[in-house]
Amino acid sequence: MSKQINVALIGNPNTGKTSVFNALTGLNQKVGNYPGITVEKKEGICKLPRGVKAHIIDLPGTYSLNASSLDENVVIELLLNKNDKDYPDVAVVVSDVENLKRNLLLFTQIKDLEIPTILAINMSDRMAYKGISLDIAYLEEELKTKIALISTRKNTGIDELKELITNYKDLSVKPCLQASEIEPTYFNDLRKAFPNQLLYKLWLVITQDVNFGKTDRQTFEAVEDFKTKSKADLKRLQQKETIKRYQFINETLKAGQTIDLKSAKDLRIKLDRILTHKVWGYVIFAFILLLIFQAIYDWSSVPMDFIDSSFASLSEWVKDTLPEGAFTNLLAEGIISGLGGIVIFIPQIAFLFLFISILEESGYMSRVVFLMDRVMRRFGLSGKSVVPLISGTACAIPAIMAARNIESWKERLITILVTPFTTCSARLPVYLIIIALVIPEGRILGLSYQALTLMLLYLIGFGAAVGSAWILNKVLKIKSKSFFVVEMPNYKMPLVKNVALTVLEKTKAFVFGAGKIILAISIVLWFLASYGPGEDFNNAENIVSEQVASENLTEDELHQRIESHKLEHSFIGIAGHAIEPAIRPLGYDWKIGIAIVSSFAAREVFVGTLATIYSVGSDEEETIKNRMAGEVNPILGGPLFNFASGISLLLFYAFAMQCMSTLAIVKRETNTWKWPILQLVIMSTFAYIVALVAFQVLK
Amino acid sequence: MNTIIQNILVFAALGFALLFLIRKFIWSPKKKSTKACGGDDGCGCH
Repeated sequence: MSKQINVALIGNPNTGKTSVFNALTGLNQKVGNYPGITVEKKEGICKLPRGVKAHIIDLPGTYSLNASSLDENVVIELLLNKNDKDYPDVAVVVSDVENLKRNLLLFTQIKDLEIPTILAINMSDRMAYKGISLDIAYLEEELKTKIALISTRKNTGIDELKELITNYKDLSVKPCLQASEIEPTYFNDLRKAFPNQLLYKLWLVITQDVNFGKTDRQTFEAVEDFKTKSKADLKRLQQKETIKRYQFINETLKAGQTIDLKSAKDLRIKLDRILTHKVWGYVIFAFILLLIFQAIYDWSSVPMDFIDSSFASLSEWVKDTLPEGAFTNLLAEGIISGLGGIVIFIPQIAFLFLFISILEESGYMSRVVFLMDRVMRRFGLSGKSVVPLISGTACAIPAIMAARNIESWKERLITILVTPFTTCSARLPVYLIIIALVIPEGRILGLSYQALTLMLLYLIGFGAAVGSAWILNKVLKIKSKSFFVVEMPNYKMPLVKNVALTVLEKTKAFVFGAGKIILAISIVLWFLASYGPGEDFNNAENIVSEQVASENLTEDELHQRIESHKLEHSFIGIAGHAIEPAIRPLGYDWKIGIAIVSSFAAREVFVGTLATIYSVGSDEEETIKNRMAGEVNPILGGPLFNFASGISLLLFYAFAMQCMSTLAIVKRETNTWKWPILQLVIMSTFAYIVALVAFQVLK
Repeated sequence: MNTIIQNILVFAALGFALLFLIRKFIWSPKKKSTKACGGDDGCGCH
């Protein structure tokens, strides 16, 4: 009876490796664990032609032989240890026809171990749909192997694979390429120190925590003739090795594989051809953005009006029900008004994240990343910078942290520095209230002016980010290489549960994260607006009564004048008047100045601050919007929030670095205060100048 | 009496608000872990 052939099935995750295992072994399989660890071990028996039997092991999925997990270690240790009872006589590398390039990295590494290797290209039934054709003879020659084109779904090619396994002794054990060429001197020394060992095995042991036989990392340190390298140098060499392998794979596939997108029948390819088209891709993306902003306005108006009037009623109810006094006023004018200023934006923020989540879940967002890579490169950014820039629409903090996966330090630094320009959700309340006050409600081609203004502000933020990236790319003298890899997921219907969870999580984070700060700031601001030093504040009733003695005022008008006098001489009034000369040229009064200063903690505090300041001393049940609309410019007359001052404020918030938490995270990511301080000074100065010019031109 | 209680509540609320803002943005005492090393608590010993 002939010996059983040991066969190892190896491959990247999701290549259909287990389907191949099932096709080969049928019901003759068992599942256990590798000794001492919880990694699953699947093995089975396969009947081959001419009465030969094969013992098949389905090894855990791995992307390469550079192990990063316990599962991957299992694969490497088996392939290194010739004395292991499961050591393969032949390795079958299962690859997916759609991801051949990535799958071949592992194949070339296994070939370097001089194990007879078969390349099984799975999912071959998809080739016609994908417009893929392969020159098998050429690939077999270049890869020094035999190829089985199989489809476990259609059950084709399995017999050919069995035939190849049976004749495994005919397979070449020569490597596809010479990996040692990445540093010949080092590998020559290694060869001289260990003349009886396979070079690539030694290299794997040096670079990772694996061993074969009695050889492990300590073995190299004990040999005097050979000096190993530092961990950083070894990492650099590993990267060089990977790049060399991919260069070989690219050249091989260039001649051996053809992908004809025109003949592709697959829906995904057809969609990709349109959605990533160099003209239509951008047109569609712009159209989708327009729809999103229009929907944010149209769908949120009813719940927003409801929330606004509810908070106004609640404030009134508290004043009427609780006993008169300072704490009742704090509740009604400070806390409820301040919180109302944030809760009102829940509908719009929820709708924004609903759309972003749908775009991500459907797989479209990856196409946007790919599409934008073409644009980004011109501005010194990578396609990967799109992820932080898009995440920045939620919050700059996680967005800046998302820049960690950008390999090039220069691109990463530029991305960190420009991301705060993108319109985060904290800017949204400021934009929405100012737009509602100064932009008319008319429509053009079915799109409201207000929605178009909001979209324009998002584009201005994005434009400022890429524009400043372009300047930084020219100014910063940092040398680094970059590359961009993105895996396009299949299109799929978004799962309602996933979308709902994202919307809930993001909205909760916004409300509770900002809510606590706003509540605290509202209390402090109410106190500063309700108390003041000196006679002007404490004797306000007498002073105002004397001043207006000759005028014939009603009781309400007199009360209004007294409250206005008290506010002006309160702590906040004194501070506001002190900064007024600096902000008056921008069209703002001292109350807006206070809101800008307090919103340095977080931008969304702006609306809550104004809501609190305007509520102090007010007896009427009014919404935030009405209170702001009723404010009069003390110098120029007319509404304080007019087109000129409104646009000036919008532009100020579009460019200013009004977020302490973002500065803290930039410090943490760059490990120096240099960059956040520069960011603060440059962004705030630029915002001031743009706001000044806008007001002076438009007034 | 009512005025005194209301004022006390206002100043208490102000105190809590200021304390919260100071700890959030200006100075927060570093928490020292009292847990024994064993879990993956970022102590750097794993």
